[in-house]
Order: sequence, then structure tokens, then C-alpha cells
Amino acid sequence: MADETVQPLLQFEGHRHLTTRLLLSTLTGRPIRISKIRPSSTRPGLTPYETNFIRLLDSVTNGAQIQFSMTGTTLVYRPGLITGSAEGLGAMGGVIRHEIPRECSRRGASWWLIPLALLAPFAKDKLNVVLHGEGCITSSTPAGDISVDSVRTAILPLYKSFGIERNIELRVLKRSCVPAQGKSAGGEVQLVFGHQVRLPKTLHVMNKGRVKKIRGVAYAVGVSGSNNARMIETARGVLNKFVPDTYIFSDVSKAPLISGMGSKSDPNGKTKGAVGFGLSLVAESSTDCIYSADVASPPQGGVTPEDLGKQCAYQLLEKISAGGCVEVTSATTVLLLMAMGSEDVGRVCLGRDVLGTEEVVQLGRDVKVFTGAAWGFRSKGTADAEDEIVVSVVGRGVGNVGRKVA
Amino acid sequence: AAKMHGRKRAYQPADLAKLMENLELSPAEVLKEWRGEEDDADEVDDEDEDDFFNKSKVDDAANAEDRYIPLFDYAALEEKWEDDENIEALKSRFAVGHMDGKGGDGDDDD
Repeated sequence: MADETVQPLLQFEGHRHLTTRLLLSTLTGRPIRISKIRPSSTRPGLTPYETNFIRLLDSVTNGAQIQFSMTGTTLVYRPGLITGSAEGLGAMGGVIRHEIPRECSRRGASWWLIPLALLAPFAKDKLNVVLHGEGCITSSTPAGDISVDSVRTAILPLYKSFGIERNIELRVLKRSCVPAQGKSAGGEVQLVFGHQVRLPKTLHVMNKGRVKKIRGVAYAVGVSGSNNARMIETARGVLNKFVPDTYIFSDVSKAPLISGMGSKSDPNGKTKGAVGFGLSLVAESSTDCIYSADVASPPQGGVTPEDLGKQCAYQLLEKISAGGCVEVTSATTVLLLMAMGSEDVGRVCLGRDVLGTEEVVQLGRDVKVFTGAAWGFRSKGTADAEDEIVVSVVGRGVGNVGRKVA
Repeated sequence: AAKMHGRKRAYQPADLAKLMENLELSPAEVLKEWRGEEDDADEVDDEDEDDFFNKSKVDDAANAEDRYIPLFDYAALEEKWEDDENIEALKSRFAVGHMDGKGGDGDDDD
């Protein structure tokens, strides 16, 4: 660690892309300084969920140093080694239990899970984290987070093409929807990531194939299961024109109970967490490219399941029509894993509107700052495929420092 | 090349690489340029002279947070995907064989 203090801090500005920058910093081992985090907002500095994410980062790494300025608008992060859920470093019985308190309920659990899953292959030991607490939302959220079902069915399968496939599991222990203002969520999810690698395989995905099946999960938490049936029916109504092989699972669960939140007369009583319903759809192509769509009922209610089912189906069609082998939700995961791969050029074909999102453009810039290698772009083959662009990413070739011998 | 500057073809991969190198542009501006949308110069001027106003604009709700699911205008999407032309165009992306008419195989859900 001695040389780490010599390394200059990489400077960043702004609150956007905070998780990807922290991830890149942790994976490359380079310290960063992020300034001007919401400087002119009425609530300046880091939000509760961002500090909570940094805390989670701290519990899966060893030796990280984090400094905030007084107002929280500046953050200096010196990453440690990614230890995973090694015994004695915050883990109890091989499991890290990470609480997401109520003030973090603006983001869904996937906001924590997706970056966490990206660290996991590079950890020293296997990763086993339970997210729980009053701010843990398993459904998709109005803030644009996908549901944990989509993480399980659309994000985690992507690791397979990088040669990371064994012993990866995401369990939804308690479902919860987005709570209304001042209420609690109370979901619980467990991520087990037992496949650590030295280097992810170099990826070459050029052929997006044809969509052959659509799977989905409809969930109703604390509300009638007929909502599921209604969402499923309308979604199928839209999608059956395209793929007959559509199957949507229906999951009806009770509202999560949160202990210690009872009324004054019964302080040890339990209150119910947030209720609602939602739908997660995943389309899979013949070449294992995955497109996902997610909708959920808003906390204030007032949306019929029919509308949600339709919206979700349309969202899925839109994602598929954007083309490319990777959709926008999972582009960060795929491109980051490629950048962390062996010193070789990986190629992935993206739709131009997927590549042309702020997230991806900024990711490209950030990756260049951290690894020094810029991405290459060229259009795919012939003129008719002009809306698809091949991105070539040079791997960094360092990979997992905790596992020099694999 | 200077002649082409007026009507550059949008979505050229090489352009994007160049635009990404230019760190003076924010990602949003890069995309605007790349898509070939009319980049009105007066907007840039506005930002220069009216710094205070600009800041609040950057922090507006839609721009403020990272999203995994983009925002969609569902009414527009519904219109788009009710249109037969669009449906036909997208069908090439699906592996539907001769089973087109077989829609009712999944009534087991209700």
C-alpha cells in the first residue's frame, strides 16, 4: 500500500456517475477526488443513499480511506483491496448484513446490487451480502432503478459470457415496493457471488440474433394477486404478436413486516412495509443477448395494472428496437467488465442510441482517465446496419490483485 | 471536410471518438453534436453570461440523477407500437417461424 500514497488523485466533478467512478477507482486501485457534488442544490453534498453506498463499499474492501469535506460536496476516496465477505472484516458467518436505512429509500436495491456485483468477481474471497432495512426496495423505482428481478434475470446472466458463471445467486427474501413519503420499505435481498476470477474473458459479441423468448416476473406485494394476472394479460396481449414463447411468472407476497416500528400503544409491534405491484420483462435472443424492461406502481398509486403491463411491454419493444447486443441498462456492466479484462481487444456491438447515452459516453471518458485506453468505434460492416456501432475496448490486463494465482 | 461541415452526417462513429476526446463538451453536448441536432450557438452564449441561471438548469429534476431505466413517453410509445408498419419492421428481430397465429397458448396464467 505504500506506493498508493504517491499516486496522484484523479479529479472528478459532479454527482453524476458516482457509483461507476467509485467502482473504477476500486477496481483499478487509483485514488480519486470528486468535488462539486451538488454545490448549488438546496441540499448540497452527498445524499444519504450515496454515503450508504460508500459504507457498503467500505465493508467489502479492506484498507479503504474515505474523507468528506464539511459540507459533503467533496469526497476523497482511496480504495483498498476487495476482500469480499472474508471472515473478521465486517462479515458474520460469511455474510455481510448491510442495512439500508429509511432515508435511503429514494433508490431501489438494484442501485446497490449492480455495482456490488461488478466488484464481486475481483474480490479475494466469495461475496455474500444481505441488503435489508427500511430503505431496501426490491421493486423498480420512479428514480429509474430496475427491480431485483431484472438484476437476477437480465444483469447477472451477462457475467456468463465473461466466464463468470458458477455459484452466483440473487435471492429475494422479502419483497417490497416503493414506500410513500415517510413510510418504510423493508425488503430484503441476498447476493451470493461465489465465482472469483483472475481476469474476465475477452468478449466478442457482434451478432445480436433474434429474440426467441420472453420471460418475466410479475409481483404483487401486499395487494391482490389479481393485479398480477391483469398486468400479465395486457403485456402478453402486446407481445404475443411478436413472440409466442412468452411466459410471465406471478409472485404474490405479503407486505414485509418491520419490527420495532409499532404505534405508541404497542412499541414492539410490527408495521407493514410498502405495498404495490410491478412487472419485469426480459427478452432473450438466440445469441443470448438480453433486453429487459421494468415498471412498478408508483407510491401514490392510481395506476391500473393494465396500464403498467402495457407500458412494460412497450418499453421492452423499444429496448429491442434500439438494436445492438447490449441494452442501455446493462451497458455499464458489460463495458466495465470488458475494460477490466485481459490485455486484448474486446468488441461489442451497440445500437447507436445505446451508445449515444450520457452514461455510456461519460463511462468511456472515465475509463480512459483510469486506464489510459480510449474506446474505438466503427460502424458495423455494411451500410444497412448503420445504426449499430462496434465498440472496441482494450482490457486493462491487471484484473484481480487478490488472486494472482487462479 | 470544411464544405461538409454544414450538413455533416449524423451518427458517424469516428465523430463520436473525436467528440469524446474533447473534454470541454459535456456528455449531453457531445450527444447533441453527434446526433447532428441543430446546436444553437445562442444557447451556449446564454450559459456564459448567465452563470447563475445555468446552474439551476443543470440541477433540474430530469438531469439530476443517474438512471438505469430511461424515461419514456408512454403515450408516444403506445402510438408507435400500435402502428402496423413499426410492428412489421420489428418482427425481423424476432424468431417467429410459422407459428404466427398461435397466440393463445398461454391462457394458463389467468
